[in-house]
Amino acid sequence: MVALEAQRLTKCYYSSLPAVRDLTFCLNEGEVLGFLGPNGSGKSTTVKMLTGLLEPTHGHILSRGSRIERDLVSYRERLGYVPEEADLYPFLSGWEYLELVGTLRGLPRESLQRKIDAMLELFSLAPHRHSAIGSYSKGMRQRILLIAALLHDPSLLIFDEPLSGLDVTSAMVVKNLVKTLGEQGKAILYCSHVLEVVEKVCSTVIVLRKGRTLAYGPPAELMKSAGQASLEHAFAHLVEGGDAAQTAHSIAAVMSST
Amino acid sequence: MISGFANSFRSWRQALSEKPFYRLLRHCIDRIFRGGDSSGDGEVDAGIGAILAILAAPGAFASFALSSKYGSFFLWFRAYFLNDRASLHFDPFSASLPDEYFFVVLSMVAAASIAIWKWDNLLPDRRDYANLVHLPIPSREIFSANLLAILLLTGILSVDINAGSSILFPVIAASSRGEWGYMAVFFATHLVSVVLAAAFGFLGVLALLAVLMAFLPYRFFRKSSVYIRCGLAIFCVALLATSFSEPRKIEHLQYSPRPWFAFPPPAWFVGLCQSMRGLQAPLLSGLARGAILASACSFVLAIGGYALSYRRCFLRSAETMINLPTGGGIPSRVAFRILDRTILRGPFQRAGYRFVLKTLFRSEKHSLAWIGFTGIGVIVVSQTVFAATSKGSPLVAVPSADLLGVPLVLTYFLMFGLRLAFELPGPLRANWTFRFGVDPGTRQSAALARRVMLTFEAPLLLLCAAAYARFWDWRVALIHTAIVAIMAVFLAETLLLGFRKIPFTCSAPPFKQTTIVALILYVVGLFAFSGVIPALESRAFESPFPFEELIVVLLSVWGACLYAARKNQTEPERRVIFEDTLAPVVEKLDLTFHR
Repeated sequence: MVALEAQRLTKCYYSSLPAVRDLTFCLNEGEVLGFLGPNGSGKSTTVKMLTGLLEPTHGHILSRGSRIERDLVSYRERLGYVPEEADLYPFLSGWEYLELVGTLRGLPRESLQRKIDAMLELFSLAPHRHSAIGSYSKGMRQRILLIAALLHDPSLLIFDEPLSGLDVTSAMVVKNLVKTLGEQGKAILYCSHVLEVVEKVCSTVIVLRKGRTLAYGPPAELMKSAGQASLEHAFAHLVEGGDAAQTAHSIAAVMSST
Repeated sequence: MISGFANSFRSWRQALSEKPFYRLLRHCIDRIFRGGDSSGDGEVDAGIGAILAILAAPGAFASFALSSKYGSFFLWFRAYFLNDRASLHFDPFSASLPDEYFFVVLSMVAAASIAIWKWDNLLPDRRDYANLVHLPIPSREIFSANLLAILLLTGILSVDINAGSSILFPVIAASSRGEWGYMAVFFATHLVSVVLAAAFGFLGVLALLAVLMAFLPYRFFRKSSVYIRCGLAIFCVALLATSFSEPRKIEHLQYSPRPWFAFPPPAWFVGLCQSMRGLQAPLLSGLARGAILASACSFVLAIGGYALSYRRCFLRSAETMINLPTGGGIPSRVAFRILDRTILRGPFQRAGYRFVLKTLFRSEKHSLAWIGFTGIGVIVVSQTVFAATSKGSPLVAVPSADLLGVPLVLTYFLMFGLRLAFELPGPLRANWTFRFGVDPGTRQSAALARRVMLTFEAPLLLLCAAAYARFWDWRVALIHTAIVAIMAVFLAETLLLGFRKIPFTCSAPPFKQTTIVALILYVVGLFAFSGVIPALESRAFESPFPFEELIVVLLSVWGACLYAARKNQTEPERRVIFEDTLAPVVEKLDLTFHR
């Protein structure tokens, strides 16, 4: 079943700056869709539209066959979202923040508390549960965001750079978690710049550049069509990022120039 | 039965706490009180209870302080021992007008100050957008929860600020009459007027904030926000200052009709209070009408503005969060390049100067410190100018000492504000930049701070020269500007004695043992700085000898003292510090005998 569908999605800022143009894709249940693109390619704008934070200028977003704006509340009940930036309330403790999110999602008190405690334990945040978020490191904030997105057992998950700031162990946990959730039948949209991870966890990939879709398909096919051995090289080939080695040499030359 | 009631209350509370709207409301109240600095670490978290207790205290203390005026013993003592016969026919209603004015001002200013303090937290912002909007809550619930939180807070604050005074003041003021009915009327009228005044103060600031947010471009609103807050803070200080003059004015003009808007806002609520007590006077009823109209307007504007700003800013946060490319600030780049070639020596001063200037203008905390102090200086100066001009024409051949002191008062407050701002730490997590890149042995930090202070002083000197040249002549203007410039340099040097920090990069201990002494010295210093030399100067313009020589001697002594103090500083006393800790109360002396 199609969990999320974008139909010719376009977003223009201030009626002149097209950030996303004619984006169309389908995300099925049990599928992990990788969302790739260089900075400024329109990934975050698309994610904001998919979460209902931004209204598309043209096109539609469908969830289970109906347009999301018709019942945004029930759509968001099914949605778990990890934003790109961990902009949390610094005066709340990690536990208080999760309790706030869980209560606003209408989770019953007892199961919510149980879940929060268990999740904090599993994400190695239990010793810091009562410290203010203001004192958390970037990785700790990111883990709080991840827990907040998973607490209500959503059927659709949107992860925008979920590994940002995480240590190696936590990153491995999250990678495995994404795989497991996909196998359980959850639909997952995964935005990242870490292409090795995308290659491993995603069943399908979309590559964006300047708001347009450059490629859409399984990673293996993408690599094959680009004639590259890894997704990283295929991506660089597709977005015409230039010769990275050459750019590095140029930077070194500028550094040593007087 | 009691335990049954307690159980049902507990389960009702439990059920309520599980309701998303209630949780959202609680969060909104929490956010307004606790959502200040984004750093969150090491900040003193004044809880709601502590804030409410602090707010209630001044009114209660002021009521006690008034017992000597209203107490029956003191009235009797005044009547029979000080021969003050008017004390025998004492009418608390009319006699309490100046005190009612004071309580109204206190209530209004306290509530407005809270709104100014919590300016950024009153309305939902981008952080709320990022955290709440993707959750399954209808947008109207976020709107209603925040609105309800604001209204609840307005009510709680208005009652809390006046809780002490509303009970104590009527008891103290009306007890000499010994009538319960009289006391009840006194209590009710006082309570209504002070609570309305507080609500007006809080909602007035909120209305201004919401309307500005709704109509100004977001970026411009953010940039101008700090100046508006400073302006409001200065306005509050000015309102407090009216406590000395306005009550007398109202008493004098009671029977001559004047428009209510010719009086400052506290006067409207005093008019309302006195009118409700049955004191019939045309001015008082006009003021009462003004109070009701102003309260209604502030309420409507606050809610309307909030609704508009919510629609225009909050719901469009995702779009306004997109950063469009901006211009490069060519004028400031040119100005900095000129400064680099003239007054800034070396890379440390050049980099530090840019950092300090940008922080002083962009960081709200630091802007509030120096603009706030300068604003107080402006109020003091305006009173001096007003007093000097009301005595007679200031345009005599030689300016009076008061008028010569004007630029010095401004200089003092400006420099003191800047010095205080330098002490306030910025985000300390970012100070690794300086720890990493600055030689701790550098002696440049005080020089950098001095250059910044004198940069701020320069426009004031130009203004001073122009004003004195316009109203007197160029000779007076040049001589006085030169003296102000020398004194400004000396003041900067004095304030920066022992300064070893790069501004904003060092932690500040909460309270130093020397703080009170320093505070007293600063107050005494203001009078010495702005009073002594102008008095001599004013005399010297009429007959130079011996005043001219005296000025030179005084300035030379000051300069020599500064030179000696700087010379006596040891090398460790000059090293840059990034952590300022309190000296230990008990110092361990290393008296171990070493063979």
